[in-house]
Amino acid sequence: MPIYLYIDHRSAIHRLHPTVKVFALFVMFWSVYWVDHPLALLPLGILMVALAQTTGAWPNFYRLRWLFILLIFFTTLAWMVFYRRGPALINLPIIHLSRASLVFGFGRGLKLAELLATSVLFLSTTKVEEFTAGLQRMGVPYRVGFAITLAFRLAPLFIDSALTVVQAQSLRGYDFNRGGPIARARRYVPVVIPVFMGALRKANNMAMALEARGFGISAAPTSYIDFPMRARDRMAFAIVAGIGVLYFGIYYFGYGAIAVN
Amino acid sequence: MKARGHFQREDAITERNETLVVTAEAGSQSAATSGADAPVAALEEVAFAYAGSDHRALDGVTLELRRGETIGLMGASGAGKSTLAKCLNRIVPAFEDGDFRGRVTIGGRAIDGSQVCELAPRVGMVFQDFEAQLFSTNVAHEVAFAMEQAGMARAEIAARIGPALEAVGLKGFDDRDPTSLSGGEKQRLAIASVLAMRPDLIVLDEPTTDLDPEGRAEVFALIRRLRAEGRTLLVIEHEAEELRGCDRIVILRDGAVIAEGEPASVMGRLELLETSGVHPPDLNRLLGMLEIREHAESIDHAEAIIRAHFPDLPRVERSESEAVEIIAEVRASVRPETAAAPEPIAQLERVSFAYPFGPRVLDTADLTIAPGEFVAVIGQNGSGKTTLAKHLVGLLQPETGRVLIAGRDRAGLAPAATAREVGYVFQNPDHQIFAGTVEEEIAFGPRNLGLGADEIAQRVEEVLAAVNLGAMRGRDPFLLSKGERQRLAVASVLALRPRLLILDEPTTGLDYREQRKMMALVRALNRDGIAIMIITHTPWLVAEFARRAVLMRRGRVVFDGAVRELFARDDLLAGSSFRAPEATALGRRFGFVALSPEELAERIRGFA
Repeated sequence: MPIYLYIDHRSAIHRLHPTVKVFALFVMFWSVYWVDHPLALLPLGILMVALAQTTGAWPNFYRLRWLFILLIFFTTLAWMVFYRRGPALINLPIIHLSRASLVFGFGRGLKLAELLATSVLFLSTTKVEEFTAGLQRMGVPYRVGFAITLAFRLAPLFIDSALTVVQAQSLRGYDFNRGGPIARARRYVPVVIPVFMGALRKANNMAMALEARGFGISAAPTSYIDFPMRARDRMAFAIVAGIGVLYFGIYYFGYGAIAVN
Repeated sequence: MKARGHFQREDAITERNETLVVTAEAGSQSAATSGADAPVAALEEVAFAYAGSDHRALDGVTLELRRGETIGLMGASGAGKSTLAKCLNRIVPAFEDGDFRGRVTIGGRAIDGSQVCELAPRVGMVFQDFEAQLFSTNVAHEVAFAMEQAGMARAEIAARIGPALEAVGLKGFDDRDPTSLSGGEKQRLAIASVLAMRPDLIVLDEPTTDLDPEGRAEVFALIRRLRAEGRTLLVIEHEAEELRGCDRIVILRDGAVIAEGEPASVMGRLELLETSGVHPPDLNRLLGMLEIREHAESIDHAEAIIRAHFPDLPRVERSESEAVEIIAEVRASVRPETAAAPEPIAQLERVSFAYPFGPRVLDTADLTIAPGEFVAVIGQNGSGKTTLAKHLVGLLQPETGRVLIAGRDRAGLAPAATAREVGYVFQNPDHQIFAGTVEEEIAFGPRNLGLGADEIAQRVEEVLAAVNLGAMRGRDPFLLSKGERQRLAVASVLALRPRLLILDEPTTGLDYREQRKMMALVRALNRDGIAIMIITHTPWLVAEFARRAVLMRRGRVVFDGAVRELFARDDLLAGSSFRAPEATALGRRFGFVALSPEELAERIRGFA
């Protein structure tokens, strides 16, 4: 099973200039941030689904389907506990089930899901090298940009390693789900230690290999890949910027908020 | 140390044991040579002790690497091989705290003021862990990485990528994701990325440790090509037969060079190799057993030597009809292992499996493991071996088909539910070790099963004795050697008293001595009645230890039978990236299917 999210599909989004893609990532986060109402978030969600379809990123969304579902479900549920506005539709202990809490909670869940979807879409269509180049073009120093992108590259490796450790300990009869939340957290010690030790070893090996390949000779290395800014990139930049302005406008003029009756 | 046998030319060997005998040539190597005649690299009285260690990893090593020379560096784990290699580009002492002494020169110039990255254009290094040395999302970018760091112009980088990929046989792979390559391809990519920099010296630190036989063959074929091109290479390796083509062999022990010379001189010194943790070539072992004091450079050469001494040996042309005869003979001589089995411990019935959106990894696989069996599961990387094993322990659920454990369908059961029936030792022992002491690590499993304190203590004692770690019971597992940690991983699973023990590549990363120790333990467990299923890439290990072989290809079980029969089937071996050990392959030419040099020697002696 592939452990990285990048899918080589060569769609129009894949071929966009990396700076535009990094900018789009930022604008999507920005847009999601300004609105709360699910109806205001819906167009962004539809856009994500359409992009996932055209970029061939569906397998990644499918892999993470439970994360999306659980994120929306539990966020909605959690806000029914804390967001106690509007008349209750049904009287329940702890949970305040009102139209307002339902809409607000669902909106928050959708918001988190869209942030996750944006990241998945970005990583499905952007190579690590493009990410580095995009950050570099935006003024981020090469080493900082490389470190950020390396973290994206390493995270799946560590997750994969953690899953293997969980399997190894399960096979020794270990039950991770015994006890309350704190006891359960403590029961992950047999996972955390091997993963941490493995991560240290891997990081050390990688640091050695990087330097052995010349990482650090130059503060601004050259780039094998040329990223010319084409007309389509400028157009995409304008569209993305337009979405950002539109969503700020929605917020500014008072749309996109949740009205409490 | 005395050279034994007339084939060992005393003048070709430099011995540096307790008496520190050094040849005139080696002794005359000057520290300050420079210019065109300077060696590509030289170590002069280099010593290094890691911080916190009371012994030296390197202890006064003096060694020259001359232009165009290929040196094979061998020795047990911990002998100092990797430390020596890392001194050549200053990873030691730049990355490792410790006490460094002596002098290292590259092209005649001392490197003590240099940074590791500054040496990248001069010294290229390929590491054992290929996952840790590939950073890019496509093959061309990977090759370009070091050149980008060196600030080369885009046109120059582009001009070098093609030839580098072509040199390692990866032409046309430019756009492939490195993670999608096989192990052998990944290592060849790592070599290509080093080659593109055109360094003076290429160091390969056990580059084939995690590879299947085909991957190993690919990498060593590439090394031979690079040697023919006149590159200067230092190759670290445990298997002596792979280094027969080197110009010079150097053996390290306890951080010091104890022998140095041409392969023909060193390879025949079986005792020296074995005591240095190196697997001596089977052909040399065989000749030694037959009291023939010659060095065989290949199977053809060994055949000629042996026929000269045993002219009555039969000649077997490898025609299909004769192969069939051999197989028939083998089948007649092998008692089916499963015939007497009362009830299988584990069964796979037409199991198929695929990851979401992925290709089929298991394809209608059938397998039955009976009590007391010793089964080797082999096949190239990605053939489905580990996936098959994970179905047996419930880490994966079949898409179609079913898995039975002790006659019970394991569908819906948690992995832990069958821990008493089937134990699984992961390839990397560090994936399970976490406790503060060896004893606690072993007690973890029985404690999870809810056993009483007396029972746990008894099991800990039993397995400590079985794996011979009693003296280390109070030690921190993270401070043990790789071989000891591997045995601890076995012990911690054994404490659950499984009837079937699955070991996934248990000898990976171990030197020959540790491999033998590990396999002696596994054999002893099998003799005590535990069924063994071992996943491995190592042909000699299958030949010597397993009785039944299961060969997998693209998710299918393509052979399930006696090991001896497998090694008589050239058709199967050729199509599965597996090969018979050299002694077995040689024996086939005389009409035998011998599983070890000892067995072959006995058969040959019958024709004296």
